[in-house]
Amino acid sequence: MPAIDSARQLGALQLEPEIEALGAEAGDALKSLMLSDEELSEHFFYAEFKEKIAELLKIWPAIDVRESYLAPLPVIDIVAAKVDEHLKLGREWQREEEDLRAEEVNLRRYQDLLPALESLLGDVGEENGLLAVIGVTFNSREMVTQLEKIFNRLCTGRFDILTAETAKGDLVGIIAVEPELAETIKRSLVDEQVPELTFPDAFADLKLPEKIRYLRKRMAEIGQQRQLLASRRETLARRWLPIYRRVDAWLDRQLAVLQATASVFETGHCFVIVGWIPENRLAELRQRFEEDFGGRIAVEKLDLLESDLERVPVALMNPLYFRPFEILTRLLPLPSYGSFDPTPFLGIFFPLFFGMILGDIGYGMLLVVLTLFLLAVPRREPWHDVARVLGVCAAYTILFGLLYGELFGDWGTAKLGLHPLLFERSEAIAPMLFFSLAVGVMHVLLGLLLGLYKAWRHRQPRKAMFKMLQIVVIVALVLMALIALYPEFEIGFGPILVLVVAAIPLMVLFGGMLAPLELLKSIGNIISYTRIMAIGLTSVLLAIIANRLGGMTGSLLAGILVAGMLHLFNLALGIFAPTVHALRLHYVEFFSKFFEGGGRRYTPLGGQKR
Amino acid sequence: MEKIWLAFAAALAIGLPALATAWAQSRIGAAGAGTLAEKPELSATIIILVAIPETMVILGFVVAAMILLMI
Repeated sequence: MPAIDSARQLGALQLEPEIEALGAEAGDALKSLMLSDEELSEHFFYAEFKEKIAELLKIWPAIDVRESYLAPLPVIDIVAAKVDEHLKLGREWQREEEDLRAEEVNLRRYQDLLPALESLLGDVGEENGLLAVIGVTFNSREMVTQLEKIFNRLCTGRFDILTAETAKGDLVGIIAVEPELAETIKRSLVDEQVPELTFPDAFADLKLPEKIRYLRKRMAEIGQQRQLLASRRETLARRWLPIYRRVDAWLDRQLAVLQATASVFETGHCFVIVGWIPENRLAELRQRFEEDFGGRIAVEKLDLLESDLERVPVALMNPLYFRPFEILTRLLPLPSYGSFDPTPFLGIFFPLFFGMILGDIGYGMLLVVLTLFLLAVPRREPWHDVARVLGVCAAYTILFGLLYGELFGDWGTAKLGLHPLLFERSEAIAPMLFFSLAVGVMHVLLGLLLGLYKAWRHRQPRKAMFKMLQIVVIVALVLMALIALYPEFEIGFGPILVLVVAAIPLMVLFGGMLAPLELLKSIGNIISYTRIMAIGLTSVLLAIIANRLGGMTGSLLAGILVAGMLHLFNLALGIFAPTVHALRLHYVEFFSKFFEGGGRRYTPLGGQKR
Repeated sequence: MEKIWLAFAAALAIGLPALATAWAQSRIGAAGAGTLAEKPELSATIIILVAIPETMVILGFVVAAMILLMI
């Protein structure tokens, strides 16, 4: 346990619960470490205590309080007794609060009805001996007319129906009739399915004006009682929350250590812990054990076997520039140990594609403003990483805006004389199409090269040959397309065609019968990059339309409003669509060429500490 | 007359894939909504899956643009 606690404080060692890592002969000599009775009861006590604190933290308000520096261990029994007391109190207050809330909801139904009925009372005059029979909401005025006809027949005119509208527009009414006819009226109301107003028992026996006074008084009382409960809860929470939070964090650490003992083994003479640690922190672990245990714990580095490769935990460790892009990598399964971390590729190409698609100086500047706003808010992951990624994307958006000559669509061209350095997207559709396809060819070829390198490193010659043949065929097809488009290129079409025809059976030989399908899939992947042109074109056309509509209003202010709203809408689309499609190009078209998922997450004891 | 046919062809080239994309995304979106009710952490994956059928309408748009430009 002290050894595990020491490793937990270092925050670098991930325990391995499987003995197979030590080999077959070790498996016979080792058995799992059994906790003593004292440690077991400690485990159950801590687990139960933690559950109680979790329930208490749910009942109490989550307010910001000072941090406590109390050492939990000396006062653990006192705090454990207090938590039972506070839980009992908290549950009572919670029940009281729920009852009050239910009563308030119930009474609120009458809050609209009773004032409307009150306005009718003056016309009826209960003091003159008439009994008022109250009907609840009428569906419509036609129902009132229908009831009048029925009552005329039953009561020969000795009744009165008065109606009023509530604040919500419902129709309520009272039926005033002689006492001896009340039952007749009530029976016909039942027959016509017009329900009488019923009131809660608390004020059912009161007369109507008293009902209204009681209702108002009770609503005020409920409000005061709820405020009092909330104030009592907050006072207690302010006093005890720091202590409970401190104890909760301490319990987490103690339970982590106790749970980690499930991964500890023992022989008759010693205990054995098997785990994973980054190579650059091994010396740190040795030094810590040396300092804490004076040489009584030996740390031995085991050789990594091929059978271990599936079990090696994987942590993403990237330079500072690429680290924010890990939020995009984490959407996929972790890469397997020994394969490529796709984060740097995302860091390079994702903002590039984003900029190519959105490509507008004005939108880029607005994104810079949004980035600065996100960075200015108090630090909350992952928003700061999102802000950094957005910032890089904004820079590329401005760069491509300069290349395309776009500032809020064609506004820059019309008003500031901005000219494209590359081409104007709204008119040069064909060049943009070929540009997108060229980007696709480069990106897919890069993916295939990475796949080839991976297959070569893992000593998979057939897979490596297959990847190389795919690269050769794609390059050959691109050359053939160039020759078809530009006959002035003096490259022999025939030899290239022969190369392609010869390569396909070789692909079947090295890649199996489905190899040609794989090639078709790669070609389809390249064509998918035309979305860079398509989505970019829709963005620029929407911007142009926004400017046109703004100009058509005839007024400067109205024009700015109309164009501004459309540009904002275009920007919102412009953040969402390029993000999703650039990610899709990576995840589907690029990563499928080399990425291998299934990595096991690196979760060191005590959390990762760099 | 030729322009009418070209316009009609361009409209079909974008319209039919748009219908197909809408149908595919409606099915994926409905399944995704059910998945998110149980596993909210998959929201980013679901967004990517919903975006995948957009290839059809994008390629349709490209063909329509090429027809209109008489490439």
